[in-house]
Amino acid sequence: MTESLDPITVEVVRYKLDGIANEMQSTLLRSSFSPIVKEGLDASASLFTADGTTLSQSCSIPIHLATLIPAVAKVLETYPLDGMREGDIYILNDPYTGGTHLPDIAVIMPVFHRGKAIALSGAMTHHQDVGGMSAGSVPTNATEIYQEGLRIPPLKLREAGVFNDTLIKMIRQNVRIPDTVMGDLNAQVAACTVAARRLAELADGYGHNQLASIFDELLQRSETMTRKALLAIPEGTYRFVDYLDNDGVELDKPIRIEVAVTVTGGDIEFDFEGTSPQVKGPLNCVPSGSLAAACYAVRALTDPTIPTNGGCFRPIKLRLPKGTIVNPQEPAAVNARTSTIKRITGCMIGALAQILPDRVPAASAGELLVIAFGGSHPGGGRYVVGELIAGGSGASAGLDGVDVIETDATNCMNLPAEAMEMEAPIRVHRVALRTNSGGAGTFRGGLGVVREYEILDGEVSLSHRGERHFFSAPGLDGGSEGAKAHSVIRRAGGGEEVIPSKAATTLHKGDRLVIETAGGGGYGDPRGRSAEQVREDVRNGKVGEDAARSVYGKA
Amino acid sequence: MVVMAEAAGHFEIGVDIGGTFTDVVCRDGSGAMRLVKIPTTRRNPSAGVKAAMDYMQREWRVSPDEIVRFVHGTTVATNAVIEAKGAKIGLLTTVGFKDVLEIGRQMRHKVYDLVLKPEAPAFLAPGALRKEVRERVTATGDVLVGLDESSVVHAVDELVAEGVEAIAVSYLFSFLNPAHERRTREIIAERHPQIMVSLSSDVDPAFREYERTCVTAFDAYIKPVVGRYLENMEQDLAGDGVKTPLQIMQSRGGISSSAIARQRPVRLFLSGPAAGVIGGLEVGRAAGIEDLITVDIGGTSCDIALISRGQPLIRAEGDISGYSVRVPMVDVNAIGAGGGSIAWIDGAGSLRVGPHSAGSEPGPACYGRGGEQATVTDASIILGYINPDYFAAGSLKLSPDLARWTIETTIARPLGLSLEHAALGIHRVLNAQMAEAIRLVSIGRGIDPRGYTLLPLGGGGPLHATALARELGIRRIAVPPHPGVLSATGLLFAPIEHESSAAFPRLLAGLEWPEVEGSLADRDQACAKLMQSEGVPAAKTQIFYFADVCYVGQSYHLEIPLQTDAADPLEMLYRDFLAAHDRIYGHSTEGAARIVNLRSIHRSRVGRPAATAPVRPGGDSAHKGQRDILTAESGRFIAAKVYDRSTMAFGLEIRGPAIVEQPDTTTLIEPGWRATVVADGTLIITAD
Repeated sequence: MTESLDPITVEVVRYKLDGIANEMQSTLLRSSFSPIVKEGLDASASLFTADGTTLSQSCSIPIHLATLIPAVAKVLETYPLDGMREGDIYILNDPYTGGTHLPDIAVIMPVFHRGKAIALSGAMTHHQDVGGMSAGSVPTNATEIYQEGLRIPPLKLREAGVFNDTLIKMIRQNVRIPDTVMGDLNAQVAACTVAARRLAELADGYGHNQLASIFDELLQRSETMTRKALLAIPEGTYRFVDYLDNDGVELDKPIRIEVAVTVTGGDIEFDFEGTSPQVKGPLNCVPSGSLAAACYAVRALTDPTIPTNGGCFRPIKLRLPKGTIVNPQEPAAVNARTSTIKRITGCMIGALAQILPDRVPAASAGELLVIAFGGSHPGGGRYVVGELIAGGSGASAGLDGVDVIETDATNCMNLPAEAMEMEAPIRVHRVALRTNSGGAGTFRGGLGVVREYEILDGEVSLSHRGERHFFSAPGLDGGSEGAKAHSVIRRAGGGEEVIPSKAATTLHKGDRLVIETAGGGGYGDPRGRSAEQVREDVRNGKVGEDAARSVYGKA
Repeated sequence: MVVMAEAAGHFEIGVDIGGTFTDVVCRDGSGAMRLVKIPTTRRNPSAGVKAAMDYMQREWRVSPDEIVRFVHGTTVATNAVIEAKGAKIGLLTTVGFKDVLEIGRQMRHKVYDLVLKPEAPAFLAPGALRKEVRERVTATGDVLVGLDESSVVHAVDELVAEGVEAIAVSYLFSFLNPAHERRTREIIAERHPQIMVSLSSDVDPAFREYERTCVTAFDAYIKPVVGRYLENMEQDLAGDGVKTPLQIMQSRGGISSSAIARQRPVRLFLSGPAAGVIGGLEVGRAAGIEDLITVDIGGTSCDIALISRGQPLIRAEGDISGYSVRVPMVDVNAIGAGGGSIAWIDGAGSLRVGPHSAGSEPGPACYGRGGEQATVTDASIILGYINPDYFAAGSLKLSPDLARWTIETTIARPLGLSLEHAALGIHRVLNAQMAEAIRLVSIGRGIDPRGYTLLPLGGGGPLHATALARELGIRRIAVPPHPGVLSATGLLFAPIEHESSAAFPRLLAGLEWPEVEGSLADRDQACAKLMQSEGVPAAKTQIFYFADVCYVGQSYHLEIPLQTDAADPLEMLYRDFLAAHDRIYGHSTEGAARIVNLRSIHRSRVGRPAATAPVRPGGDSAHKGQRDILTAESGRFIAAKVYDRSTMAFGLEIRGPAIVEQPDTTTLIEPGWRATVVADGTLIITAD
């Protein structure tokens, strides 16, 4: 530690930095307009040192962890710090120059104290629309990024306090809901401004030189603690392979995710050699996605009391072979990378299950089924209602998996049946646990869900983006795999159509859609499950009597 | 203190039973208050009321037949959930939806945990105790499939055979058309009159089937337990000769007779904390302060609540033992920081404080009960803030030696700091944490803490108040006369209150006022009936109307007061909604909005005593010595005058550094602050 640093002051400053990030996030959520930000919590805020290292971060969903790091690096590369002026604000969204996918716009602001740039603040928000071929800018059938919306390279949104009207006009002209987009952008600016004010107050109190030493100290401490925690994991290379069903464009081509995790000397490396080449559809994931997944994995696997900052991320190394789905080359489409990040996270964690069997559960469904219905109300007016639906989580040594629960990088709510019926002429007939879907084991995997919809009127467009339809969540230590997801359309006139994981189709009055999400993997030999637990599962409808006999060997 | 003659025949009693202590206050006809803390019997909390009665008869000569009000704040509802000691219940749902209770909303609270635990309270009614009934109401409230009574009979008989004590009923869209749920209740009553029933259309008539089912199941789950507890207490009090009916504090901050409260026990989850907020509101009212942040610092946690324009902020749903339950309650936010918070050194050699706490057993090291980890209270002794011989009025002797030894060995030496600076460090780190938490709670509700007055509560609040206020830019602090027992005093000031709400899903545009009036009239009828059964005459009832309003497409609403006497109440409602949205969320646009629920609240303020506490003699008798203290600002030990709160006279002015001691707490006034005692005994501290 630097001689002059008081350890108490260092800790007090840490709480304030966390407090500032939380205040930014609160400002961001409060002042954003679009429901996706307010209720999906799809936004994040961070503070950075002047060289672009994360000081503190606030985010509500892990997919946002560390996502501003490449953006800040790109801004600093394009606009060196010594050329920045007070009142400057930078903006970008292009995945190939620091972004994630186009709806995520990053806003970054240098923080000045007595004329010197002492830090940066940044806010990332998922915007409701950024133009492109379909409303919402997440076209499931995109095959190149130009179809996905407006690409903004690192640019100045504001220069020395004066907004860049040319850029703002360009943005407004290219998006479907300019007022909402500008409203959310203003919220990002407000969040960065709050941070700048409070950081400058901190510098007033401690002097910016001492503050810089405190920043270094905090990063150093988190790095030390993270390395210590990593040293506790047995050294070695651990592998895991899992698959995504397909890219939504080429339906017969599964996508392989392979990772080798090497833990050695306090470092952790994630090598994706063997992963599928980039795909035509929009499931490609630029490197920031793997970084978010790696940060999540390290945070979840090490000591939870370690203060999260860039120090925690220093031991992480990523090897992302060029031209693969985890490091696609322009102009690959990337908007649907959420599914990919979820699977990447599952693989990273899963690789360590063999050496951390007490802490890592069997694989979860790790799917977030996205369905959207679009049609017209009988009395006129259009509607679009969508749902995000989870499957079961994996069982662990000691606990059954949880039924129908969000896991890994995302955390979304489902839609109440009453909300859907009030919103659209659609009837929900069933919301039920899916019997026998949890992977069998001494500890059983979590169950998926069954939801059944009936179209009550007219012609309705259906978009369905699933996962785990062709590849189930594997079990662990003798536990069985969870059930695969399954979705079927039952036409009013008779006939059934099984959805091959992804579909865009049309439904008519009387047609029904039945979706069944996947179950989590089981843990341990099913025959090791107690008769009492199996009986309870049968009584509660989680396991059928047949399966109790054939799989668990209990009458 | 002498009981004044006119006091006879007019005692008002408040009993707040907490986890560690049962706080008892008694106000006589002259307005004089007495209070005592009695240890809570964990196994049988209701014994606390018995002990309180004994104490009051013995020590204060309160005769039971002279008690005119008896108000109780209870944790029985919360404890039943935390300890999983509720009843065995069954759940009836519409066919196809019995698993909604277990599926929940699929979101998880602990995002970084790999091994997950269920988020939805399926334990209330596991699959085998959930039965489906053939019936269906549509989104417009029309009956699509009539109630199949034979399926009700069949399901109910099965549940009763399983041994359930209560049944929750939650059908789809019952908030629009409750007929099927009501008929179901009749069927249950006919066949099994002993079974308690909770209908979702009564408990929480609002849309979103999971939230409605969940709160209804909780209601059924705790109803038998809360019912027995309160009935026993009613009988005990009557047996003791108390003639006035027992009253209970509800989560929103209003009281209700016990007999009514046990019909809807889910409204009692925040009974104790709500009383604390009402107590804070009353202190503010007496001092003419409308905007307050109450910070209640106990041994293990710090509860933060806001009072804005004289009204406590209410939230639409709360967290009960980790489960989100949709029932309105005072917006109290807890963080794990308090006097018992443990100081420790992390893997990188940083000083950390909390969230773990030494609690009351073994408690801080200085308690001498075997605690070996340094806590905030240990640090307070070393810094000179607490008098080890006068903690809890001397009922617990603290050991400065143990405090010193523990901080020296576990914190100071490893960090290479002096004992005193290690102790100061513990306070600085805790204060930084609490200040950030208070700031976040405030700004998250659109409130700038700088314009608010800090109201410190609990045994630890007044000790940290000036440090927190400085961090937050707050310039005024109000320390109530008895910060350690404010929940109990709050019980005596709370209004009798009954609430009735109903779903009213209508777009604001094109809505006709008579339709709203019609629905409100129904709500009023329900409330009036309840008030009447409390013996409150209609003339003494104030009526407040509210609408839950949101923009079309939003899934969360704001509760907006409805000004029925305005020229155009609906236009006014829309304007007020926009203003509230702007205040809380930082923006508003003139977009389409809709009403979700309508609500009527009937409130009857209890008479406030004509006289306040007697004015005490003046002079400097309150000054009882001095002690050296170390604060973050002073940097070295400085002499602080020590005052005795009980003899501080009205108008007395003191300047920091100073310490004010009283049985239930210690107030630290740092340099740069001055304090004065105002008429009702509140100590107002302001920044120089």
